[in-house]
Amino acid sequence: MKGNIQKRIIKDKQMYLLLFPVILFFVVWHYIPMWGSRIAFQDVMYIGANKWAGLRHFQLLFSSPVFLKVFINTVIISSMKMFLIFPLPIFLAFMLNEVTSHGFRKSVQSVIYLPHFFSWVVIAGIFISLLSSPEGVVNQIMVFFGLEPISFMTSTKHIRWVFVFSEVWRSIGWDSILYIAAINSIAPALYEAATIDGASPFQQAINITLPAIIPTIITVFILNLGFFMNAGFDQVFNMMNDAVINHVDIIDTYVYRVGLMQGNYSLGTAAGLFKGIIGFVLILSTDRLSRKVTGEGVW
Amino acid sequence: MSIQKHGIGHYLIMLVLALGAIILVYPLYNQLVISLTGSDYITKASGTTIIPYGFTLSTYTTVLAIPKVARGLLNSIFITATGLVINIVFTSMGAYVLTKRDLVGRSFFITMIVITMIFEGGLIPDYFLMRKLHLLNTYWSVILYKAINPYYLIILMRFFDRVPPSLIEAARIDGLSETKILFKIVFPVSVAGIATVSLFYGVFHWNEYFRAMIYLTDEMKYPLQVVLRELLISAEKASFIGSMNFLKVTAAAQLDIKAIKAALIIISIIPILAFYPFVLKYFVKGRLEGSVKE
Repeated sequence: MKGNIQKRIIKDKQMYLLLFPVILFFVVWHYIPMWGSRIAFQDVMYIGANKWAGLRHFQLLFSSPVFLKVFINTVIISSMKMFLIFPLPIFLAFMLNEVTSHGFRKSVQSVIYLPHFFSWVVIAGIFISLLSSPEGVVNQIMVFFGLEPISFMTSTKHIRWVFVFSEVWRSIGWDSILYIAAINSIAPALYEAATIDGASPFQQAINITLPAIIPTIITVFILNLGFFMNAGFDQVFNMMNDAVINHVDIIDTYVYRVGLMQGNYSLGTAAGLFKGIIGFVLILSTDRLSRKVTGEGVW
Repeated sequence: MSIQKHGIGHYLIMLVLALGAIILVYPLYNQLVISLTGSDYITKASGTTIIPYGFTLSTYTTVLAIPKVARGLLNSIFITATGLVINIVFTSMGAYVLTKRDLVGRSFFITMIVITMIFEGGLIPDYFLMRKLHLLNTYWSVILYKAINPYYLIILMRFFDRVPPSLIEAARIDGLSETKILFKIVFPVSVAGIATVSLFYGVFHWNEYFRAMIYLTDEMKYPLQVVLRELLISAEKASFIGSMNFLKVTAAAQLDIKAIKAALIIISIIPILAFYPFVLKYFVKGRLEGSVKE
Protein backbone atom coordinates (compact mmCIF):
# COMPACT_ATOMS: atom_id res chain seq x y z
CA MET A 1 0.00 0.00 0.00
CA LYS A 2 2.75 2.40 1.00
CA GLY A 3 4.81 1.51 -2.01
CA ASN A 4 1.74 2.05 -4.11
CA ILE A 5 1.31 5.62 -2.88
CA GLN A 6 4.98 6.30 -3.46
CA LYS A 7 4.64 5.00 -7.00
CA ARG A 8 1.63 7.18 -7.64
CA ILE A 9 3.43 10.26 -6.34
CA ILE A 10 6.43 9.56 -8.55
CA LYS A 11 4.19 8.94 -11.54
CA ASP A 12 2.50 12.30 -10.94
CA LYS A 13 5.68 14.25 -10.27
CA GLN A 14 4.97 16.66 -13.12
CA MET A 15 1.59 17.34 -11.54
CA TYR A 16 3.17 18.23 -8.21
CA LEU A 17 5.62 20.46 -10.01
CA LEU A 18 2.69 22.33 -11.54
CA LEU A 19 0.91 22.47 -8.19
CA PHE A 20 3.95 23.72 -6.29
CA PRO A 21 3.71 27.44 -7.22
CA VAL A 22 -0.03 27.35 -6.50
CA ILE A 23 0.46 25.97 -3.00
CA LEU A 24 3.38 28.35 -2.46
CA PHE A 25 1.06 31.21 -3.36
CA PHE A 26 -1.52 30.19 -0.77
CA VAL A 27 1.14 29.70 1.88
CA VAL A 28 2.76 33.08 1.25
CA TRP A 29 -0.30 35.25 0.61
CA HIS A 30 -2.82 33.57 2.88
CA TYR A 31 -1.20 31.42 5.56
CA ILE A 32 1.67 33.77 6.43
CA PRO A 33 -0.74 36.69 6.98
CA MET A 34 -2.97 34.38 9.08
CA TRP A 35 0.06 33.63 11.23
CA GLY A 36 0.92 37.33 11.07
CA SER A 37 -2.36 38.26 12.73
CA ARG A 38 -0.84 37.07 16.02
CA ILE A 39 0.28 40.71 16.43
CA ALA A 40 -3.22 41.14 17.90
CA PHE A 41 -1.71 39.46 20.98
CA GLN A 42 1.57 41.35 20.84
CA ASP A 43 2.98 44.84 21.14
CA VAL A 44 4.62 45.81 17.89
CA MET A 45 8.19 46.90 18.57
CA TYR A 46 10.10 49.06 16.14
CA ILE A 47 13.41 47.62 17.29
CA GLY A 48 13.78 43.97 18.22
CA ALA A 49 11.17 41.29 18.61
CA ASN A 50 7.52 42.01 19.40
CA LYS A 51 6.48 41.64 23.03
CA TRP A 52 3.73 39.31 24.16
CA ALA A 53 0.71 41.32 25.30
CA GLY A 54 -1.85 38.61 26.02
CA LEU A 55 -5.42 39.79 25.60
CA ARG A 56 -4.69 43.40 26.46
CA HIS A 57 -5.57 44.73 23.01
CA PHE A 58 -8.85 42.86 23.07
CA GLN A 59 -9.65 44.29 26.51
CA LEU A 60 -8.86 47.74 25.17
CA LEU A 61 -11.05 47.09 22.15
CA PHE A 62 -14.06 45.86 24.11
CA SER A 63 -13.89 48.71 26.61
CA SER A 64 -13.69 51.30 23.83
CA PRO A 65 -16.95 53.19 23.21
CA VAL A 66 -15.86 53.79 19.63
CA PHE A 67 -15.58 50.09 18.92
CA LEU A 68 -18.96 49.44 20.50
CA LYS A 69 -20.48 52.01 18.18
CA VAL A 70 -18.66 50.54 15.21
CA PHE A 71 -19.92 47.08 16.09
CA ILE A 72 -23.51 48.31 16.41
CA ASN A 73 -23.23 50.17 13.10
CA THR A 74 -22.01 46.99 11.43
CA VAL A 75 -25.00 45.05 12.77
CA ILE A 76 -27.50 47.77 11.82
CA ILE A 77 -26.21 48.34 8.29
CA SER A 78 -25.87 44.63 7.63
CA SER A 79 -29.37 43.89 8.96
CA MET A 80 -30.93 46.66 6.88
CA LYS A 81 -29.30 45.27 3.76
CA MET A 82 -30.08 41.69 4.60
CA PHE A 83 -33.75 41.97 5.47
CA LEU A 84 -34.83 44.84 3.25
CA ILE A 85 -32.93 43.91 0.12
CA PHE A 86 -33.21 40.15 0.24
CA PRO A 87 -36.77 39.76 -1.16
CA LEU A 88 -36.29 42.20 -4.05
CA PRO A 89 -34.35 39.96 -6.48
CA ILE A 90 -36.94 37.25 -5.83
CA PHE A 91 -39.78 39.60 -6.85
CA LEU A 92 -37.75 40.61 -9.87
CA ALA A 93 -37.26 37.00 -10.94
CA PHE A 94 -41.01 36.38 -10.58
CA MET A 95 -41.81 39.40 -12.70
CA LEU A 96 -39.30 38.47 -15.39
CA ASN A 97 -40.82 35.00 -15.48
CA GLU A 98 -44.18 36.48 -16.42
CA VAL A 99 -42.76 38.23 -19.48
CA THR A 100 -43.42 36.19 -22.61
CA SER A 101 -41.37 38.29 -25.04
CA HIS A 102 -37.87 36.83 -25.12
CA GLY A 103 -36.34 40.04 -26.53
CA PHE A 104 -37.92 42.23 -23.88
CA ARG A 105 -36.73 39.97 -21.10
CA LYS A 106 -33.17 39.81 -22.44
CA SER A 107 -33.01 43.62 -22.76
CA VAL A 108 -34.22 44.20 -19.21
CA GLN A 109 -31.72 41.63 -17.92
CA SER A 110 -28.83 43.17 -19.87
CA VAL A 111 -29.56 46.57 -18.36
CA ILE A 112 -30.04 45.51 -14.76
CA TYR A 113 -26.88 43.37 -14.56
CA LEU A 114 -24.67 46.27 -15.62
CA PRO A 115 -24.10 48.17 -12.32
CA HIS A 116 -22.71 45.02 -10.72
CA PHE A 117 -19.52 45.49 -12.74
CA PHE A 118 -18.78 49.02 -11.59
CA SER A 119 -16.36 49.67 -8.76
CA TRP A 120 -17.70 51.25 -5.60
CA VAL A 121 -15.54 54.28 -6.38
CA VAL A 122 -17.58 54.84 -9.53
CA ILE A 123 -20.89 54.01 -7.85
CA ALA A 124 -20.14 56.43 -5.03
CA GLY A 125 -19.28 59.08 -7.63
CA ILE A 126 -22.58 58.48 -9.42
CA PHE A 127 -24.62 58.58 -6.21
CA ILE A 128 -22.91 61.69 -4.92
CA SER A 129 -23.90 63.40 -8.16
CA LEU A 130 -27.39 61.86 -8.20
CA LEU A 131 -28.15 62.95 -4.64
CA SER A 132 -26.37 66.28 -4.62
CA SER A 133 -28.36 69.22 -3.39
CA PRO A 134 -29.98 71.03 -5.11
CA GLU A 135 -29.04 70.04 -8.68
CA GLY A 136 -29.10 66.23 -8.40
CA VAL A 137 -32.03 64.50 -10.03
CA VAL A 138 -33.58 63.29 -6.76
CA ASN A 139 -33.64 66.77 -5.27
CA GLN A 140 -34.88 68.27 -8.54
CA ILE A 141 -37.85 65.92 -8.43
CA MET A 142 -38.45 66.70 -4.76
CA VAL A 143 -38.38 70.43 -5.44
CA PHE A 144 -40.79 69.89 -8.35
CA PHE A 145 -43.26 68.38 -5.89
CA GLY A 146 -42.75 71.26 -3.49
CA LEU A 147 -40.46 69.48 -1.03
CA GLU A 148 -37.32 70.90 0.58
CA PRO A 149 -34.07 69.64 -0.97
CA ILE A 150 -32.03 67.34 1.28
CA SER A 151 -28.28 66.87 1.30
CA PHE A 152 -28.53 63.07 1.53
CA MET A 153 -24.83 62.23 1.65
CA THR A 154 -24.21 64.38 4.72
CA SER A 155 -27.48 63.66 6.50
CA THR A 156 -27.17 61.25 9.40
CA LYS A 157 -30.83 60.38 8.98
CA HIS A 158 -30.51 59.37 5.35
CA ILE A 159 -27.02 58.00 4.76
CA ARG A 160 -27.80 54.41 5.75
CA TRP A 161 -30.73 54.48 3.33
CA VAL A 162 -28.34 55.67 0.66
CA PHE A 163 -26.36 52.48 1.36
CA VAL A 164 -29.49 50.38 1.00
CA PHE A 165 -30.55 52.02 -2.25
CA SER A 166 -27.12 52.00 -3.84
CA GLU A 167 -26.75 48.33 -2.91
CA VAL A 168 -30.10 47.60 -4.56
CA TRP A 169 -29.04 49.55 -7.63
CA ARG A 170 -25.82 47.57 -7.88
CA SER A 171 -27.00 44.07 -7.13
CA ILE A 172 -30.72 43.55 -7.67
CA GLY A 173 -30.21 42.23 -11.20
CA TRP A 174 -27.15 40.18 -10.40
CA ASP A 175 -28.74 38.59 -7.35
CA SER A 176 -31.82 37.61 -9.35
CA ILE A 177 -29.78 35.31 -11.63
CA LEU A 178 -29.89 32.36 -9.26
CA TYR A 179 -33.66 32.63 -8.86
CA ILE A 180 -34.20 33.03 -12.59
CA ALA A 181 -32.17 29.87 -13.17
CA ALA A 182 -34.19 28.02 -10.54
CA ILE A 183 -37.45 29.14 -12.14
CA ASN A 184 -36.23 28.18 -15.61
CA SER A 185 -35.64 24.63 -14.45
CA ILE A 186 -39.31 24.14 -13.53
CA ALA A 187 -41.00 21.72 -15.94
CA PRO A 188 -43.29 23.67 -18.34
CA ALA A 189 -45.80 20.81 -18.12
CA LEU A 190 -46.68 21.95 -14.60
CA TYR A 191 -47.79 25.36 -15.90
CA GLU A 192 -49.62 23.83 -18.83
CA ALA A 193 -51.60 21.53 -16.56
CA ALA A 194 -52.41 24.43 -14.23
CA THR A 195 -53.56 26.58 -17.16
CA ILE A 196 -55.88 23.81 -18.30
CA ASP A 197 -57.23 23.59 -14.75
CA GLY A 198 -57.97 27.30 -14.98
CA ALA A 199 -55.34 28.61 -12.53
CA SER A 200 -54.65 32.33 -12.91
CA PRO A 201 -51.05 33.51 -13.48
CA PHE A 202 -50.98 34.73 -9.89
CA GLN A 203 -52.16 31.36 -8.57
CA GLN A 204 -49.52 29.66 -10.70
CA ALA A 205 -46.80 31.93 -9.28
CA ILE A 206 -47.86 31.12 -5.72
CA ASN A 207 -48.54 27.41 -6.15
CA ILE A 208 -45.95 26.33 -8.71
CA THR A 209 -43.10 28.84 -8.94
CA LEU A 210 -42.74 29.73 -5.28
CA PRO A 211 -42.55 26.16 -3.88
CA ALA A 212 -40.07 25.25 -6.61
CA ILE A 213 -37.60 27.98 -5.72
CA ILE A 214 -37.92 27.86 -1.93
CA PRO A 215 -34.79 25.68 -1.59
CA THR A 216 -32.81 28.30 -3.55
CA ILE A 217 -34.23 31.08 -1.37
CA ILE A 218 -33.26 29.24 1.81
CA THR A 219 -29.77 28.45 0.53
CA VAL A 220 -29.08 32.05 -0.48
CA PHE A 221 -30.44 33.38 2.80
CA ILE A 222 -28.29 31.03 4.85
CA LEU A 223 -25.23 31.93 2.82
CA ASN A 224 -25.91 35.63 3.35
CA LEU A 225 -26.19 35.00 7.07
CA GLY A 226 -22.71 33.48 6.99
CA PHE A 227 -21.28 36.71 5.58
CA PHE A 228 -23.32 38.93 7.87
CA MET A 229 -20.28 40.67 9.37
CA ASN A 230 -19.29 42.02 5.96
CA ALA A 231 -21.39 45.15 5.98
CA GLY A 232 -19.74 46.36 2.76
CA PHE A 233 -16.34 47.95 3.24
CA ASP A 234 -15.95 49.41 -0.26
CA GLN A 235 -19.36 50.98 -0.22
CA VAL A 236 -19.01 52.56 3.21
CA PHE A 237 -15.42 53.61 2.61
CA ASN A 238 -16.28 55.47 -0.58
CA MET A 239 -19.55 57.01 0.59
CA MET A 240 -18.59 58.08 4.11
CA ASN A 241 -17.67 61.62 5.09
CA ASP A 242 -16.98 63.46 8.33
CA ALA A 243 -20.59 64.57 8.73
CA VAL A 244 -21.92 61.03 8.99
CA ILE A 245 -18.94 59.00 10.20
CA ASN A 246 -20.52 58.16 13.58
CA HIS A 247 -23.46 56.53 11.82
CA VAL A 248 -21.62 54.59 9.16
CA ASP A 249 -18.25 53.60 10.59
CA ILE A 250 -18.12 49.77 10.47
CA ILE A 251 -15.54 47.27 11.74
CA ASP A 252 -13.70 47.13 8.42
CA THR A 253 -13.36 50.90 8.14
CA TYR A 254 -12.31 50.98 11.79
CA VAL A 255 -9.53 48.45 11.10
CA TYR A 256 -8.28 50.61 8.26
CA ARG A 257 -8.46 53.90 10.10
CA VAL A 258 -7.28 52.91 13.57
CA GLY A 259 -5.00 50.08 12.50
CA LEU A 260 -3.31 51.31 9.38
CA MET A 261 -3.78 55.09 9.32
CA GLN A 262 -3.24 55.78 13.01
CA GLY A 263 -0.66 53.01 13.37
CA ASN A 264 -2.40 51.08 16.17
CA TYR A 265 -1.45 47.87 14.40
CA SER A 266 -2.27 45.50 17.24
CA LEU A 267 -5.60 47.11 18.07
CA GLY A 268 -6.63 47.15 14.41
CA THR A 269 -5.62 43.53 13.93
CA ALA A 270 -7.50 42.57 17.11
CA ALA A 271 -10.64 44.20 15.69
CA GLY A 272 -10.17 42.39 12.39
CA LEU A 273 -9.57 39.09 14.14
CA PHE A 274 -12.66 39.56 16.28
CA LYS A 275 -14.72 40.11 13.17
CA GLY A 276 -13.05 37.12 11.50
CA ILE A 277 -13.90 34.84 14.42
CA ILE A 278 -17.55 35.91 14.45
CA GLY A 279 -17.66 35.37 10.70
CA PHE A 280 -16.05 31.95 11.06
CA VAL A 281 -18.57 30.88 13.71
CA LEU A 282 -21.43 32.23 11.58
CA ILE A 283 -20.28 30.33 8.52
CA LEU A 284 -19.83 27.09 10.44
CA SER A 285 -23.25 27.39 12.06
CA THR A 286 -24.97 28.35 8.82
CA ASP A 287 -23.31 25.33 7.21
CA ARG A 288 -24.85 23.18 9.95
CA LEU A 289 -28.18 24.91 9.51
CA SER A 290 -27.99 24.47 5.77
CA ARG A 291 -27.30 20.73 6.10
CA LYS A 292 -30.30 20.41 8.36
CA VAL A 293 -32.72 22.50 6.31
CA THR A 294 -31.74 21.75 2.73
CA GLY A 295 -29.71 18.59 3.17
CA GLU A 296 -26.68 20.27 1.62
CA GLY A 297 -23.79 22.17 3.16
CA VAL A 298 -22.62 25.62 2.20
CA TRP A 299 -19.92 23.83 0.18
CA MET B 1 -43.63 31.62 -20.23
CA SER B 2 -46.24 30.61 -17.75
CA ILE B 3 -49.22 32.31 -19.31
CA GLN B 4 -50.80 31.78 -22.67
CA LYS B 5 -53.25 34.66 -22.93
CA HIS B 6 -52.00 38.10 -21.95
CA GLY B 7 -54.09 39.68 -19.24
CA ILE B 8 -53.72 43.27 -18.13
CA GLY B 9 -51.40 42.04 -15.36
CA HIS B 10 -48.90 40.91 -17.97
CA TYR B 11 -48.63 44.38 -19.47
CA LEU B 12 -48.50 45.97 -16.05
CA ILE B 13 -45.51 43.80 -15.17
CA MET B 14 -43.79 44.73 -18.42
CA LEU B 15 -44.42 48.39 -17.67
CA VAL B 16 -42.96 48.10 -14.17
CA LEU B 17 -39.89 46.25 -15.50
CA ALA B 18 -39.35 48.79 -18.28
CA LEU B 19 -39.67 51.69 -15.84
CA GLY B 20 -37.34 49.94 -13.41
CA ALA B 21 -34.74 49.41 -16.11
CA ILE B 22 -34.97 53.07 -17.13
CA ILE B 23 -34.61 54.26 -13.54
CA LEU B 24 -31.63 51.95 -13.13
CA VAL B 25 -29.81 53.21 -16.20
CA TYR B 26 -30.80 56.86 -15.87
CA PRO B 27 -28.07 57.91 -13.40
CA LEU B 28 -25.51 56.66 -15.88
CA TYR B 29 -27.15 58.39 -18.81
CA ASN B 30 -27.27 61.58 -16.79
CA GLN B 31 -23.49 61.43 -16.22
CA LEU B 32 -23.00 61.00 -19.96
CA VAL B 33 -25.18 64.04 -20.68
CA ILE B 34 -23.35 66.21 -18.15
CA SER B 35 -19.96 65.14 -19.51
CA LEU B 36 -21.01 66.21 -23.01
CA THR B 37 -22.52 69.56 -22.03
CA GLY B 38 -20.70 72.65 -23.29
CA SER B 39 -19.02 74.79 -20.65
CA ASP B 40 -21.28 77.78 -21.36
CA TYR B 41 -24.31 75.75 -20.39
CA ILE B 42 -22.98 73.59 -17.61
CA THR B 43 -24.41 75.70 -14.80
CA LYS B 44 -27.83 74.93 -16.25
CA ALA B 45 -27.17 71.19 -16.47
CA SER B 46 -28.68 69.24 -13.64
CA GLY B 47 -29.92 65.79 -12.85
CA THR B 48 -32.95 66.30 -15.04
CA THR B 49 -31.13 67.38 -18.20
CA ILE B 50 -32.03 64.91 -20.92
CA ILE B 51 -30.14 66.35 -23.91
CA PRO B 52 -26.68 67.95 -23.57
CA TYR B 53 -26.75 71.68 -24.35
CA GLY B 54 -23.94 72.84 -26.59
CA PHE B 55 -22.68 69.32 -27.27
CA THR B 56 -18.90 69.12 -26.88
CA LEU B 57 -16.14 66.59 -26.36
CA SER B 58 -13.82 69.19 -24.87
CA THR B 59 -14.33 67.89 -21.34
CA TYR B 60 -12.93 64.56 -22.43
CA THR B 61 -9.90 66.02 -24.17
CA THR B 62 -9.16 68.15 -21.12
CA VAL B 63 -9.66 65.33 -18.64
CA LEU B 64 -7.46 62.96 -20.64
CA ALA B 65 -4.76 65.65 -20.68
CA ILE B 66 -4.54 65.60 -16.89
CA PRO B 67 -1.24 63.73 -16.43
CA LYS B 68 -2.59 61.77 -13.47
CA VAL B 69 -5.58 60.55 -15.44
CA ALA B 70 -3.64 59.58 -18.56
CA ARG B 71 -1.01 57.90 -16.43
CA GLY B 72 -3.69 56.17 -14.34
CA LEU B 73 -5.33 54.81 -17.45
CA LEU B 74 -2.03 53.34 -18.65
CA ASN B 75 -1.26 51.92 -15.20
CA SER B 76 -4.69 50.27 -15.03
CA ILE B 77 -4.24 48.72 -18.45
CA PHE B 78 -0.79 47.45 -17.49
CA ILE B 79 -1.93 46.04 -14.14
CA THR B 80 -5.02 44.41 -15.63
CA ALA B 81 -3.14 42.85 -18.56
CA THR B 82 -0.15 41.59 -16.55
CA GLY B 83 -2.35 40.48 -13.69
CA LEU B 84 -4.64 38.60 -16.02
CA VAL B 85 -1.81 36.59 -17.61
CA ILE B 86 -0.48 35.62 -14.17
CA ASN B 87 -3.98 34.82 -12.90
CA ILE B 88 -4.82 32.55 -15.80
CA VAL B 89 -1.50 30.69 -15.85
CA PHE B 90 -1.48 29.92 -12.13
CA THR B 91 -5.20 29.39 -11.65
CA SER B 92 -5.35 26.94 -14.54
CA MET B 93 -2.28 25.10 -13.26
CA GLY B 94 -3.95 24.65 -9.90
CA ALA B 95 -7.31 23.76 -11.39
CA TYR B 96 -5.78 21.25 -13.80
CA VAL B 97 -3.82 19.38 -11.13
CA LEU B 98 -6.63 19.39 -8.59
CA THR B 99 -9.13 18.05 -11.11
CA LYS B 100 -7.12 14.81 -11.28
CA ARG B 101 -9.16 12.68 -8.93
CA ASP B 102 -6.56 10.05 -8.03
CA LEU B 103 -3.86 12.59 -7.08
CA VAL B 104 -2.32 11.69 -3.72
CA GLY B 105 -3.09 14.49 -1.25
CA ARG B 106 -5.76 16.06 -3.46
CA SER B 107 -8.34 16.56 -0.71
CA PHE B 108 -5.66 17.98 1.60
CA PHE B 109 -4.69 20.62 -0.97
CA ILE B 110 -8.32 21.46 -1.71
CA THR B 111 -9.11 21.85 1.99
CA MET B 112 -6.07 24.06 2.35
CA ILE B 113 -7.41 26.31 -0.40
CA VAL B 114 -11.00 26.33 0.85
CA ILE B 115 -9.86 27.43 4.32
CA THR B 116 -8.48 30.63 2.80
CA MET B 117 -12.01 31.43 1.60
CA ILE B 118 -13.29 31.52 5.18
CA PHE B 119 -10.37 32.81 7.14
CA GLU B 120 -8.00 35.59 6.18
CA GLY B 121 -5.09 37.27 7.86
CA GLY B 122 -6.55 40.67 7.26
CA LEU B 123 -5.45 44.07 6.15
CA ILE B 124 -2.63 44.79 8.58
CA PRO B 125 -0.79 41.43 8.39
CA ASP B 126 -1.08 41.69 4.60
CA TYR B 127 0.53 45.10 4.72
CA PHE B 128 3.34 43.90 6.97
CA LEU B 129 4.03 40.98 4.65
CA MET B 130 4.17 43.32 1.67
CA ARG B 131 6.66 45.48 3.53
CA LYS B 132 8.80 42.54 4.54
CA LEU B 133 8.97 41.31 0.96
CA HIS B 134 9.99 44.83 -0.16
CA LEU B 135 7.07 44.93 -2.56
CA LEU B 136 5.53 48.17 -1.29
CA ASN B 137 5.27 50.80 -3.98
CA THR B 138 5.76 48.29 -6.80
CA TYR B 139 3.18 47.18 -9.34
CA TRP B 140 3.76 43.64 -8.08
CA SER B 141 2.14 44.47 -4.76
CA VAL B 142 -1.16 45.02 -6.53
CA ILE B 143 -0.75 42.19 -9.01
CA LEU B 144 0.57 39.36 -6.85
CA TYR B 145 -1.55 39.42 -3.71
CA LYS B 146 -4.55 38.07 -5.65
CA ALA B 147 -2.66 36.00 -8.22
CA ILE B 148 -5.03 33.13 -7.49
CA ASN B 149 -8.57 33.64 -6.26
CA PRO B 150 -9.76 30.42 -4.57
CA TYR B 151 -13.34 30.93 -5.78
CA TYR B 152 -12.26 31.28 -9.39
CA LEU B 153 -9.95 28.30 -9.03
CA ILE B 154 -12.91 26.17 -8.01
CA ILE B 155 -15.05 27.52 -10.85
CA LEU B 156 -12.30 26.63 -13.31
CA MET B 157 -12.05 23.14 -11.79
CA ARG B 158 -15.73 22.64 -12.62
CA PHE B 159 -15.02 23.51 -16.26
CA PHE B 160 -11.89 21.33 -16.45
CA ASP B 161 -13.87 18.48 -14.94
CA ARG B 162 -15.88 18.32 -18.15
CA VAL B 163 -12.87 17.75 -20.38
CA PRO B 164 -13.13 14.11 -21.57
CA PRO B 165 -10.52 12.10 -19.61
CA SER B 166 -9.83 10.02 -22.73
CA LEU B 167 -8.47 13.15 -24.42
CA ILE B 168 -5.95 13.69 -21.62
CA GLU B 169 -5.08 10.00 -21.41
CA ALA B 170 -4.39 9.85 -25.15
CA ALA B 171 -2.07 12.85 -24.86
CA ARG B 172 -0.24 11.22 -21.95
CA ILE B 173 0.26 8.04 -23.96
CA ASP B 174 1.65 10.18 -26.78
CA GLY B 175 4.22 11.35 -24.24
CA LEU B 176 3.14 15.00 -23.91
CA SER B 177 4.26 16.69 -20.70
CA GLU B 178 1.55 17.74 -18.27
CA THR B 179 2.28 21.42 -18.98
CA LYS B 180 1.73 20.80 -22.69
CA ILE B 181 -1.45 18.84 -22.00
CA LEU B 182 -2.79 21.72 -19.94
CA PHE B 183 -2.00 24.49 -22.39
CA LYS B 184 -2.41 22.63 -25.70
CA ILE B 185 -5.20 20.15 -24.97
CA VAL B 186 -7.24 21.31 -21.97
CA PHE B 187 -7.14 25.05 -22.77
CA PRO B 188 -8.59 24.89 -26.29
CA VAL B 189 -11.53 22.75 -25.17
CA SER B 190 -12.26 24.89 -22.09
CA VAL B 191 -12.58 28.26 -23.83
CA ALA B 192 -15.81 29.08 -22.01
CA GLY B 193 -14.21 28.39 -18.62
CA ILE B 194 -11.07 30.40 -19.40
CA ALA B 195 -13.18 33.28 -20.74
CA THR B 196 -15.41 33.27 -17.65
CA VAL B 197 -12.54 33.30 -15.21
CA SER B 198 -10.61 35.88 -17.27
CA LEU B 199 -13.57 38.22 -17.13
CA PHE B 200 -13.89 37.72 -13.38
CA TYR B 201 -10.22 38.56 -12.91
CA GLY B 202 -10.31 41.37 -15.47
CA VAL B 203 -13.17 43.16 -13.75
CA PHE B 204 -11.45 42.63 -10.41
CA HIS B 205 -8.18 44.22 -11.57
CA TRP B 206 -9.86 47.07 -13.38
CA ASN B 207 -11.95 47.97 -10.31
CA GLU B 208 -9.22 47.45 -7.71
CA TYR B 209 -8.39 50.62 -5.82
CA PHE B 210 -8.01 49.90 -2.11
CA ARG B 211 -4.85 47.80 -2.04
CA ALA B 212 -3.33 50.06 -4.68
CA MET B 213 -4.11 53.05 -2.49
CA ILE B 214 -2.41 51.44 0.50
CA TYR B 215 0.56 49.76 -1.15
CA LEU B 216 1.54 52.37 -3.71
CA THR B 217 3.04 55.65 -2.52
CA ASP B 218 4.25 56.99 -5.86
CA GLU B 219 1.32 58.80 -7.49
CA MET B 220 2.68 58.00 -10.94
CA LYS B 221 1.95 54.34 -10.23
CA TYR B 222 -1.68 54.85 -9.24
CA PRO B 223 -4.23 52.94 -11.30
CA LEU B 224 -7.20 54.86 -12.66
CA GLN B 225 -9.53 53.90 -9.80
CA VAL B 226 -7.27 55.50 -7.19
CA VAL B 227 -7.05 58.67 -9.25
CA LEU B 228 -10.81 58.56 -9.67
CA ARG B 229 -11.31 58.21 -5.95
CA GLU B 230 -9.11 61.21 -5.34
CA LEU B 231 -10.84 63.34 -7.94
CA LEU B 232 -14.42 62.09 -7.60
CA ILE B 233 -14.85 61.74 -3.91
CA SER B 234 -12.41 63.88 -2.08
CA ALA B 235 -11.39 66.65 -4.46
CA GLU B 236 -12.48 70.20 -5.05
CA LYS B 237 -11.85 72.04 -8.24
CA ALA B 238 -8.60 73.60 -7.06
CA SER B 239 -6.90 70.24 -6.86
CA PHE B 240 -7.96 69.43 -10.41
CA ILE B 241 -6.37 72.57 -11.70
CA GLY B 242 -3.39 71.81 -9.49
CA SER B 243 -2.96 68.52 -11.26
CA MET B 244 -2.98 70.08 -14.74
CA ASN B 245 -0.07 71.20 -16.87
CA PHE B 246 0.46 74.93 -16.65
CA LEU B 247 -0.71 75.35 -20.23
CA LYS B 248 -3.90 73.45 -19.61
CA VAL B 249 -4.86 75.37 -16.52
CA THR B 250 -7.03 77.84 -18.41
CA ALA B 251 -8.83 75.05 -20.23
CA ALA B 252 -9.54 73.33 -16.93
CA ALA B 253 -10.61 76.50 -15.23
CA GLN B 254 -13.33 76.92 -17.80
CA LEU B 255 -14.74 73.51 -17.13
CA ASP B 256 -17.18 72.76 -14.42
CA ILE B 257 -16.24 70.22 -11.79
CA LYS B 258 -19.50 68.39 -12.49
CA ALA B 259 -18.56 67.83 -16.11
CA ILE B 260 -15.04 66.70 -15.21
CA LYS B 261 -16.31 64.18 -12.71
CA ALA B 262 -18.93 62.90 -15.11
CA ALA B 263 -16.36 62.45 -17.87
CA LEU B 264 -14.09 60.56 -15.47
CA ILE B 265 -16.91 58.19 -14.56
CA ILE B 266 -17.69 57.53 -18.20
CA ILE B 267 -14.02 56.98 -19.12
CA SER B 268 -13.58 54.47 -16.32
CA ILE B 269 -16.55 52.35 -17.35
CA ILE B 270 -15.87 52.34 -21.09
CA PRO B 271 -13.79 49.13 -20.93
CA ILE B 272 -16.57 47.43 -18.98
CA LEU B 273 -19.13 48.53 -21.54
CA ALA B 274 -16.84 47.39 -24.37
CA PHE B 275 -16.57 43.89 -22.90
CA TYR B 276 -20.19 43.80 -21.74
CA PRO B 277 -21.45 41.48 -24.50
CA PHE B 278 -18.84 38.90 -23.43
CA VAL B 279 -19.65 39.58 -19.81
CA LEU B 280 -23.30 38.78 -20.48
CA LYS B 281 -22.35 35.64 -22.34
CA TYR B 282 -19.91 34.20 -19.80
CA PHE B 283 -20.39 35.92 -16.47
CA VAL B 284 -23.95 34.82 -15.96
CA LYS B 285 -22.94 31.23 -16.57
CA GLY B 286 -19.99 31.67 -14.26
CA ARG B 287 -22.24 33.00 -11.57
CA LEU B 288 -24.23 29.78 -11.75
CA GLU B 289 -21.08 27.63 -11.87
CA GLY B 290 -19.85 29.27 -8.72
CA SER B 291 -23.06 28.53 -6.94
CA VAL B 292 -23.91 25.00 -7.92
CA LYS B 293 -23.29 24.12 -4.34
CA GLU B 294 -23.44 27.60 -2.89
